[in-house]
Amino acid sequence: MGIQEQYRSEAAAMLSSGEVKLVIGFGAGSTADRRRPVFARTAEETGKFVLDPACIANLTTYLVSGGLLSDGKKVAIFLKPDSIRSLNILISESQIRPEQVVIFGYAIENGEIMPLSGRSISDFTEIGGRIRSATPPPAVLQEAEQIEAMSPAERFEFWKAQFSKCIKCYACRQACPMCYCKRCIVDVNQPQWINTSSHTLGNFEWNIVRAFHLAGRCAACGACDRACPVNIPLRLINYRMGKEVKEAFNYYAGECSDQQPVLASFSQDDPETFIL
Amino acid sequence: MTRILLKQRLDDCIAAWQKAGYRVLGPVKRHDMSSFDEVQKASDMDLDLILTERTIKDHFFPQTEPLIRYKIGRQQIDSETMTPPEIKRVFFGVRPCDASGLAIDDPLFGWDYRDDYWFRRRENSVIVAIACTRADDFCMCTSVKLSPDSTEGADIMLRPLANGNGWQAEALSAGGAALLDTVSPMLQEDSSEAAPVPVVAAKFDVEKVMAWLADKDNFESQFWKEISLRCIGCGSCTFLCPTCHCFDIQDEGDTYSGIRRKNWDSCSFALFTMHTSGHNPRNVQSTRWRQRIMHKFNYYRGKFGVNSCSGCGRCTRQCPVDMGITETLQAISNLPR
Repeated sequence: MGIQEQYRSEAAAMLSSGEVKLVIGFGAGSTADRRRPVFARTAEETGKFVLDPACIANLTTYLVSGGLLSDGKKVAIFLKPDSIRSLNILISESQIRPEQVVIFGYAIENGEIMPLSGRSISDFTEIGGRIRSATPPPAVLQEAEQIEAMSPAERFEFWKAQFSKCIKCYACRQACPMCYCKRCIVDVNQPQWINTSSHTLGNFEWNIVRAFHLAGRCAACGACDRACPVNIPLRLINYRMGKEVKEAFNYYAGECSDQQPVLASFSQDDPETFIL
Repeated sequence: MTRILLKQRLDDCIAAWQKAGYRVLGPVKRHDMSSFDEVQKASDMDLDLILTERTIKDHFFPQTEPLIRYKIGRQQIDSETMTPPEIKRVFFGVRPCDASGLAIDDPLFGWDYRDDYWFRRRENSVIVAIACTRADDFCMCTSVKLSPDSTEGADIMLRPLANGNGWQAEALSAGGAALLDTVSPMLQEDSSEAAPVPVVAAKFDVEKVMAWLADKDNFESQFWKEISLRCIGCGSCTFLCPTCHCFDIQDEGDTYSGIRRKNWDSCSFALFTMHTSGHNPRNVQSTRWRQRIMHKFNYYRGKFGVNSCSGCGRCTRQCPVDMGITETLQAISNLPR
């Protein structure tokens, strides 16, 4: 039995027994190369699940939207390592109780689906080592190096051109599991702290606000980058913020589920080099 | 015999239009995004794109538009209306679905009050559409009763020649005829055949969809909840749509001076219908997605006699979770009755 069939039948059994109320996975999309999130609440519906190398989305965003877990019941979900990393961050930020999530883990290696054993987040502790030893995708590294080699003026022009494309559709925010605020700062309108206008200045404001809020919290899953309908290379911002946090604090967001959020916790040993 | 514009004369046409005072915009790929932007020569354009990622709507109803500049003094309030500049523009290489989008929105912007910002730009623009020779999996113009060579909203229709050398040119409005006149030396009479229009299979039965939507019993149907489960509530489908036209009025500035702006808004956002009291009549995503579909295929038709969709397919093509109008309307078409 292949991993897809195995997960389907396990999911069906969990739904039949009432162990979980919902299973979130992937199904066929509108074209041959697309997969879409699929929700199964009955054993029959698990027949729709597909698991193949096209299943790249980070589904954890659904765990923290619409009060899904507020009833204390369990949900099962298909997660690959970067999504498990997101789950770790969400648990460490007290957004999810680990016992509420059953994991169908998988990795995509050389175009093949590999099962990850374990069903509970506590079974995935080796993820931490993987995160520490992982190198960013060569394409991202190359792009980032090109930008870092620019003069500040050139870099500003680069981002100005990129952010000018932004239409403030907030697809980046909505796709991101870490953007779970009930009311995003840009949606707070009494008073309106941040202008809603999507002119170049407004777009800078939005993208910088989001980058700051994601610093030390990003799992580098690429959901925002893939969601952006105008192709802003958000991966480069995430990469750079991750690098800053790594260098300043030797911190890797989401390497385990009980870490202290780096910018939301205090220790006497914290470096204070950033204090002028 | 028809009038033919050869590709090799396109640079001359652009120069002639510029000389006649037009700014020429065409489909371009810049900074990793395709959109309509100003061009100086034919090679600036990517006329082989099936569709630009952004629509030409952006150039008539921009994402943010200054309306009034105001200043509040001790004795008086000064305000100055900010109107868009009168610039004559040629939009070259517009796809029929995008051109149709403008025609669909015209009655809306001229309904209870005439939106000068929209019409000033419309009246100063000539839309040169090019019929499609290719379509992708997301194109659905035929499903909304348009076609890859629809002429709605176009001032000039160019039909690609089968030999790939140029286009048959047909003026469809006085503005289009005047624009063709400015380049008449570059045109030639010819009998070259036009390339076949691609077959875009109908994906849903829009009549059936409209009948289902019109049935009030279906408004609270479980269908809406099921179909929109994976919607993450971003605004990409609405902002990339050639017909979505909702906006918000915002004052930007400090206590004493600022600019009142018209900014795009989206029915996908929770904030869109949030009342001052905190009550939100569309408090879950399924009610927002239902609104989008109802507005396009029921309310808009009731008011203006057309559906507010030109079948470009961008909503599905660029959706982060592979949703879109096609899937929903297909599902409605396939409902048992």
